[in-house]
Formats: sequence, C-alpha cells, structure tokens
Amino acid sequence: MMRSFLMAVALAAASTAQAQGTIKFAILGPMAFVQGENHWAGAEMARDEINKAGGIAVGGKKMQVELIRADTNEVQSVPDATNATERVISRDKADFLIGGFRSEAVLAMQEIAMDSKKIFLGAGAADARLGENVEKNYDRYKYWFRVTPTKSPDLFRSLVAILGSIGDQMRQALKKEQPAVAIVAEKTAWTEPIMKALQATLPKMKMEVVGTWQPSAVATDVTAELSAIERAGADIVFTVISGPVGISLGRQMGERNMKAVAFGINVEAQKDEFWAATAGKGNFVSTLDTYSEVEITPKTVPFVRAFKERYKKAPTYTAATYDAIMMLKAAIEQAGTTDADKLVPVLEKMEHVGTAAVASWDKRHDLIWAVGKTAGIGVQWQDGKKVPFWPPEVKGMQPFKMPAR
Amino acid sequence: MYWLRRGWAELKNEVFVLPSRTAVLAWALALLVLPYVYGDPYVLRIVTLTCLFAIFAASWDLLAGYTGQVNFGHALFFGAGAYASALVSLNFGVTPWVTVWIGALVATAFGVVVGYLCQRLRGSYLSLATLAFPLIALGLLFAFPDFSGGELGVSGLRRLATTVTANYYVAVLAMLAVVFGLWLIADSKFGLVLHAIRDDEVAARASGINTPRYKLAVFAVSAFAAGLAGALFAHYIRVAGPSTLETALSFQVVIWGIFGGAATIYGPVAAVFILYPLTEWLANFRAIGELRLLIFAVIVLLVLLFMPRGLSPWVRDRIETACPRCKQRNRAWRSACRLCGAPLENRGRSAISEKLKSP
Repeated sequence: MMRSFLMAVALAAASTAQAQGTIKFAILGPMAFVQGENHWAGAEMARDEINKAGGIAVGGKKMQVELIRADTNEVQSVPDATNATERVISRDKADFLIGGFRSEAVLAMQEIAMDSKKIFLGAGAADARLGENVEKNYDRYKYWFRVTPTKSPDLFRSLVAILGSIGDQMRQALKKEQPAVAIVAEKTAWTEPIMKALQATLPKMKMEVVGTWQPSAVATDVTAELSAIERAGADIVFTVISGPVGISLGRQMGERNMKAVAFGINVEAQKDEFWAATAGKGNFVSTLDTYSEVEITPKTVPFVRAFKERYKKAPTYTAATYDAIMMLKAAIEQAGTTDADKLVPVLEKMEHVGTAAVASWDKRHDLIWAVGKTAGIGVQWQDGKKVPFWPPEVKGMQPFKMPAR
Repeated sequence: MYWLRRGWAELKNEVFVLPSRTAVLAWALALLVLPYVYGDPYVLRIVTLTCLFAIFAASWDLLAGYTGQVNFGHALFFGAGAYASALVSLNFGVTPWVTVWIGALVATAFGVVVGYLCQRLRGSYLSLATLAFPLIALGLLFAFPDFSGGELGVSGLRRLATTVTANYYVAVLAMLAVVFGLWLIADSKFGLVLHAIRDDEVAARASGINTPRYKLAVFAVSAFAAGLAGALFAHYIRVAGPSTLETALSFQVVIWGIFGGAATIYGPVAAVFILYPLTEWLANFRAIGELRLLIFAVIVLLVLLFMPRGLSPWVRDRIETACPRCKQRNRAWRSACRLCGAPLENRGRSAISEKLKSP
C-alpha cells in the first residue's frame, strides 16, 4: 500500500517536472472531419520534428512541444467550439491556440482567445472579418494572426489570376478573342458573393459569361446543367463548389466528353480520392489548392513527401498548422520568451518561409497576398494524377491541358 | 423576525416535506454559490450555457408538453431573439440590457405569427409546418446578407457583463426567474386550460374555452422565453449566427424535453443540466470524445426505453407517492398521508404510475 502511494507521488512529481519543460499548443479543429484530421496531422509533424531536434530554445533553455487535441465539433455546434476553446485555455493551460475552420465558430473562438490574451493562429477560416477586428480594435485583437488560407477576397484574387492564365491559353489554342465561361456554383450562401464578383469581373477580363447554374451541393446528377452549358458553347466551366456535386460534375463532364474545361474551387477535386470517386472520368478537372509536390518554398516538397509517407495521403490546407507551430518556434526563439505581448511585434515583422506559403502579415494580421508566396496553386487532374500547373514560374509546375477538339 | 419565521415555516411545510422540492432548492442554492466554491472559468462557462439552454428547453415544454403543440421549429424563436437583439445592439449602439428584451419581444411577435398560421393544424401536421419556419428564416437571412451578415451572422456583440462570474450570474438568475415563472404559469388555472387543450381540444371548446386565443397566448409566452434565451446566448458568445436557427437546435430541444419528461417544466431543465455537461465532459476523453454524439444518442435511447415518460417523472415516482384519497404527494417512505392521514399503500412507487400501467 505504502509502496503504491510512494510510486504515485514519484510519478506525479515526475510528470510535473516534465510539464514545466513544455510549451503547450492547443490544436482546435473539427477532429471528426478531414479539416480537423489535417490540423492535427500537421501539428504532429511539427511537434515530432521540433522535439527530435531538442525542442524550442527559450532564453537558453530547451523546451519540448506539447500538443493538446481539442475537438471543436464546430461544423455541428458553435457553442461546442467556444467550450473547447475555453477548456484548452483555462483547464489545459495552453500557451498558444492554432486552428479553427468554420468562420462563424472561429469568430466566437477568437473572442475567447482575446479575452485571455492568447495568441491564436487561424488555420482554416477565410472570412475577412477576423482580420478586420484587428484593425478596428488593435489592443484587443492583436493576438490573432491568419496562417491559412488567405482571406476570402484574396482567394478570389487567386482564382481570377489562374483563370486569366487559362483564358490566355484558350485564346491561343482556340483562336478565340473572348472565351465563353459558364459559372457553376452550388446553391449555398457562401457562393453568392463570389458569383456576383465573377459576373462583374469576367467581362473586364475579356471573357463572356454564358450563364450561371446553381445545382444542389449534394446533387448526384447534373446532366441538365451540363447539357445547357454545352448548348451555350462554354469553353470554361468555372466551379464554385465545396460539396459532393463536385464529383458528379467531374464524372459527368468526362462521360459526355465535354470540350470545356472545369476550373475554380472544387473541394472534392482537392482530395486524393477524387479520381476513384469519378471512376476515372474526372480528367482535366482543375481547382485552386494549397499543397502539391512543387517548390512553393524549399520546404514544400519535403513536407508533402513526409506527410504522404506518414499518413498515406496528401495534406490539405489545414495541415498548415505545421507552419503555425514553426512560426511560433521562430518567434519564441527570437524573443526569448513565450509572453504573448512580446511575441506579437516579432510575428508582425516576421517573414516566415513555411511549407504552404512565404508568410508575412499586413496591419490586419492577414497574410499579404502574392503570387508564388501566399496565393496558392492551381492543380489539374491528368490521367489519374493531380498535377500542379499554376503559378508557372514555380519550379515543378507542369502544363495545363485541355481536352482534344 | 415575523418574515423569517414565516419563511422558515413555508420552507418546512412546503419544501422540505417533499424530496423533489428539497432537491430543487438544493440545486438552486448550489448554482448560486458555485462561483465561490469552484470558480473555474471553463466550468462556469458550461453552466452558463446550460442555464441558457435550460430556459430554451422549458419554453418548449410549455408549448409542446403542456399544450400539445409539438413544435419542431422552436429554434425560430431562439434565433429571432438572438438576431433581433444583436442587430439592434450593434446598429443603434443600444445596451444589451435593453436589447435582450427587444429580442424577446421580436420572438414573441414571431410566436404570434406562427401560432396564428398554425392554428388549424394538429399533431404531426403542426410539427411539420413549424419545422419549415426556421428554414424560411434562414433563407431570408441568406437572401439579405448585408442586413443579416449572411452565413457568418452578426459578430462583435457587447456582453451583458464584463467578468466570467457576472455573466454566470446573469444566466443563472435569468434561468431561475424564467423557469420559475413558466412553472407558475403551468401550475395556474391557465396551465389547467392548456392541459385540457392538449388532452381534448374539442371538449375544451365545448366547455366554453376560447382555445385559439389560449394557443396564441401560449405560443407568445413560449416564444418570449425562447427569444430571451437566444438574446442572452448571442450576447454571451458575442455572435448571432445561422447556427441559432439550425434544425439541429430545434431537434435538440425536443430531445431535452422528451428525455427529461414532457409537461413538467422542471424535466427538460433537468435534462439540459444532465445531458449538456455530460456531452461536454465526454469531450475531455480523447478516446471517446469524438464519439460523444453517438454516446449521447445511446443514453437518450436507453432512458426512453426504460423510462418512457422521461427521467424526472420516473425518479419522482420512486421518491414520492401520491395519496389515494387527497392526491397530494408524499415522501415514498411515509406510511400515512401528510395532509389527510390516509394510509399510503404503494410505498416506493406512485399509485398514479401503477394505475397508468394497469390495463
């Protein structure tokens, strides 16, 4: 009895000593979903790499990285997300918060983090309001930084830039001054502002909008829409899709041997499983993406390869939690402290070469958008492989292909 | 001194005579002293949200449990209160102490409209019709994003109080006041009429009761309470978003109501106080945390399988018994009624529940 008691005391003392030598990073994400899985996987990669190298140097002392996994369940419940945030701050005594996905939930999570003056690196939500808060009330919201993705207006800039590149290729190949674009946006709220912006922007890019189609996000048949798009003579099908309709569209475009090529946002096409899900018919479908085996930075290719080796699939954009931890490591080592108020100015001045981007921040603590740095990449499915094609100046990019006419 | 003596006498004769009332008093006192005993911000946050959802659940019970108007779209009132309070507070700079009441009144207006439109519907038709209203409201919010904030809602709201403890007390006091108020309504003559409408509306009308007016009134009262809960919730988490109108929230309140025991007011409150912290507690365990919704569903199914009238009536039947002569409730272990002295035969089990079980 006495021996068990003494052992318990010794173990408790040992664990306390260990806890004193760690920096705690809370990884907040919807862990039952692919976004949360990638949040966690990216963070695990960073933790293991840092700890293997001895830890983070804080004022001459090496400290280990400790991760706290917090399932926010934010896709289903905003209160659950706020509770998880409070739990990691007040119960688990996290030093830094990283993650978030659903913008409505992240806005509420941001409030809790700012109440406690905790640095919160966003790695999932695109809404611009998160950064606007920093500009409106700097003293309160200065602890918020966006790591991935770029804010939603900048995502649109990336899409337009890639579309411009595809349009130029079309003009040369088809000898057509104004390529015809059909917009296919799933019928959900988030696509509305993008559709409006596209309708205003495309004519300025010397592209003709032949129509807008809005199937359900879960539609399994888009034959009617594709027939109409073919009749309208579209050269490009601009997709604004996050749901499974992205698979239906890719498969049925292939089945119909359509000459138009699909580009835009197609979340399903970002996944490795897309080719199998379209039964091999999703050739030429292209989308905006974050990770591929191309040298966005010198760290991208080794990270993607290591990730694939460890998790047997490619990372999605939320795996940039890896970059978030590495940024904090660099900032902590530079400042020699984990004090949030001292780290904020260091982060503000930092240009961090990560795996997903070369990150630097503006006055809203949003990523400064730049092609080849933070604008993301364009990828296209070509004969069963997801091939990166944009920006062409980045090493490792391959040509964008169009169906034979 | 007189009031002290009278207060003690009331407690002794009205509260301590029944274990259920004693438990409710102990629970209320525990809530009031919790920040002094255990001031962990995380725990206070969970209890704060539990209190707000308890108001919401009790408001559903008045409408569905007492009056039989089973509302599958109760989140409409919660969301209406949240959005109305948030928009007025943000756009006009009005203090949330005023706007939460505006939110509740806007929800009341929604309640009257829904009640009016659904007046001729009964049973599953009523439930399905009410299910549509929050979906329509969501559609309208998305159609006018400049006004409503679209799918992100309205953020950056002011809190009612600045400290964790003060926010906690706002929620606890609001919950105790609203739930006690709803219980008083349910226990009044008005509540008896609601019972009559639920059991046989035709008979109630034949007895001269203006049932449409009562149904409208109960829709309004229920919506007011739900709207107040929604407004308090929005200012607590500082965001009023589409999640306050989601179908999942409407079904959540039905689960709380049925799990705790419909037509009791305290039953759904007890259900929220058990289920909400339980699911949150399960989230602490990595191995099962991500399965907590599944575990939640299994617990609810088991309770409903073995306690078809809900948890709180089941517990109450085991700790209290009804006098066969005067129908007053007594402690289960008493041998004679505390009021009329009649012998209590069914000790440990309610005579009423026995009667209900017999063919």
